[in-house]
Amino acid sequence: MSLRSEVYKTLGFTYRNFIITKRNFFTIFETLFWPVIGLISVGLMGVYLELNEERFAFILIGAVTLSVLQVSQLDVAYVLLFDIWSKSVRYTFATPISAWNMILGAWFFGIFRGLIAFSILFIAGEALFRVNILIPIPWLLLFLLGVFLSAMIIGVITCSLLLIFGYRAEIFAWTLSAIFMLICGIYYPVSMLPEPMRAFSYAIPLTHFLEFYRSFYGFETSFENPLLIGYLISLLALVVLVALYLWAFERARRRGTITQFSE
Amino acid sequence: MDAVKCDDVWMIYRSLFSKKVALKGVNLRIPKGEIFGLLGPNGAGKTTLVSIMATLLRQTRGKVEVLGMDSVRDAKEIRKRINIASGNPNLIWSLTVYENLRYYAMLYGIRDRRIVEDLIRDFELEEFRKVEFNKLSTGNKQKLILARAFINDPELVFLDEPTKGLDPPIARRLREKIVAMQRDRGTTVVLTTHYMSEAEMLCKKIAFINHGEIVAEGTKEDLKKMLKMRDKITIEIDAEIPEQKFQSFEGVFMVEKDGNSYTFYVDSVEKRLWDIAKEVANHGRIKNVVVREIDLEDVFNELAK
Ligand SMILES: Nc1ncnc2c1ncn2[C@@H]1O[C@H](COP(=O)(O)OP(=O)(O)OP(=O)(O)O)[C@@H](O)[C@H]1O
Ligand SMILES: [Mg+2]
Repeated sequence: MSLRSEVYKTLGFTYRNFIITKRNFFTIFETLFWPVIGLISVGLMGVYLELNEERFAFILIGAVTLSVLQVSQLDVAYVLLFDIWSKSVRYTFATPISAWNMILGAWFFGIFRGLIAFSILFIAGEALFRVNILIPIPWLLLFLLGVFLSAMIIGVITCSLLLIFGYRAEIFAWTLSAIFMLICGIYYPVSMLPEPMRAFSYAIPLTHFLEFYRSFYGFETSFENPLLIGYLISLLALVVLVALYLWAFERARRRGTITQFSE
Repeated sequence: MDAVKCDDVWMIYRSLFSKKVALKGVNLRIPKGEIFGLLGPNGAGKTTLVSIMATLLRQTRGKVEVLGMDSVRDAKEIRKRINIASGNPNLIWSLTVYENLRYYAMLYGIRDRRIVEDLIRDFELEEFRKVEFNKLSTGNKQKLILARAFINDPELVFLDEPTKGLDPPIARRLREKIVAMQRDRGTTVVLTTHYMSEAEMLCKKIAFINHGEIVAEGTKEDLKKMLKMRDKITIEIDAEIPEQKFQSFEGVFMVEKDGNSYTFYVDSVEKRLWDIAKEVANHGRIKNVVVREIDLEDVFNELAK
């Protein structure tokens, strides 16, 4: 296994996501339109409620994070969906790639789109509402990496569900990610949640990343070191989920799902 | 060494509510460096078998060796050295000819863009290199699918009905391409098809599969010999004749009626023509007699029964 050819295989998926995105008009909506709309409506609500500067930052951080996560998550989830929609699953799986080539390659492009979305939202927040959500760059990058890891987690879950339950699982996957987003405290501190739900929310890495970001605006964190906890949970989740994905792939090979996706 | 060896391969598709036995103990040897034909009626198990050999599907039982490697254990190594193309021409819709090839080249870890350029030229796709896949004609889609199958310069290629749904001139062009690629690169080709003429033209050896079992195997000549019938005599007459009567004739295996035309499948024309013609002439006036050797289509019809 040469490193160079592994890099090439991985970048193959980056390349494909890039071309498809470039050619699809609706990408503009995914990456720009919806995120900006989301930001504006949350911002206006903030103005109406006469929030102080910290609280304003709190909800804008929520809106921005939600958008960045959604945008970059799509790329990973789509990596398999593109093939399913085109009925070309067999050709991708006939090549000597590994699950991680596919996921990483797509994720790279997700990061790229996520960074674009973040930059635009950052500028829009500043320009429209005079709220600055900039924190020291190294910390900001660590936060964003955390968000991108969460995007990878959702993407891998989606791909696994697709392999296990067929293309209808798409809806299930979106539902799941909506529930995650509900309890990880996008627009409110998770300490508000009732006890059992709060325990769940602590298991979601995004909860900790959000708390980390907001700690720069004077908000309390539930644990001492949210960034570290967020990363640990993310890595743990990814190990488990990639194993699930590999298993789902083997299972698909036994059941003929791959050939079925191609007819 | 054989390119592929299947030993007692079973495939049982299972789902929550059903179970479908698609392969029932297939034993098969596919020699290297030739075009090997896999023929059989719809639902016989051709695609299933090809998918197993191409490591896309895992057999329920039995052992498959591809290029000397185990299809389950060494799947990834095998994938580097084989490739597939199917007659359902599906690739990512919004990628152009060039981009599709480039993408797959990358998945094989290939950097060299010349490989993509060479394939575009070899498959006469220059004109369409910037055309998105979904805007190509079916013939060009199929060309691209075939070009893609050679991107990693494979030792073994599986072509599952590669000329399905193409008009005859384009199908012929593609067949020539397959022959040329095979000849120039020495690739082993496993081809499934419903077109007997295609198998007759391309394949050195052929296996027939029906209901998940290999029912016959060998060269074209072997197969024809295997069925004892060798010739068919078609007689046109201006009257009805009682077909059953001929079934009891020695050396006559089957009689088919098509309007006023009767076809007799016999072991040998020399031995049987005279007796048959004499009897037919008792019923009416013979207008025409055609004698032909049986072809693969007849073999197929007989085996598919
Ligand atoms: N994924 C699957 N799940 C369940 N049954 C399947 C699956 N794929 C194929 N089958 C069944 O297995 C049998 C063999 O199918 P296969 O596609 O291998 O036949 P084939 O010879 O390629 O037919 P055709 O000439 O129509 O392409 C058929 O009865 C088919 O319905
Ligand atoms: Mg088939």
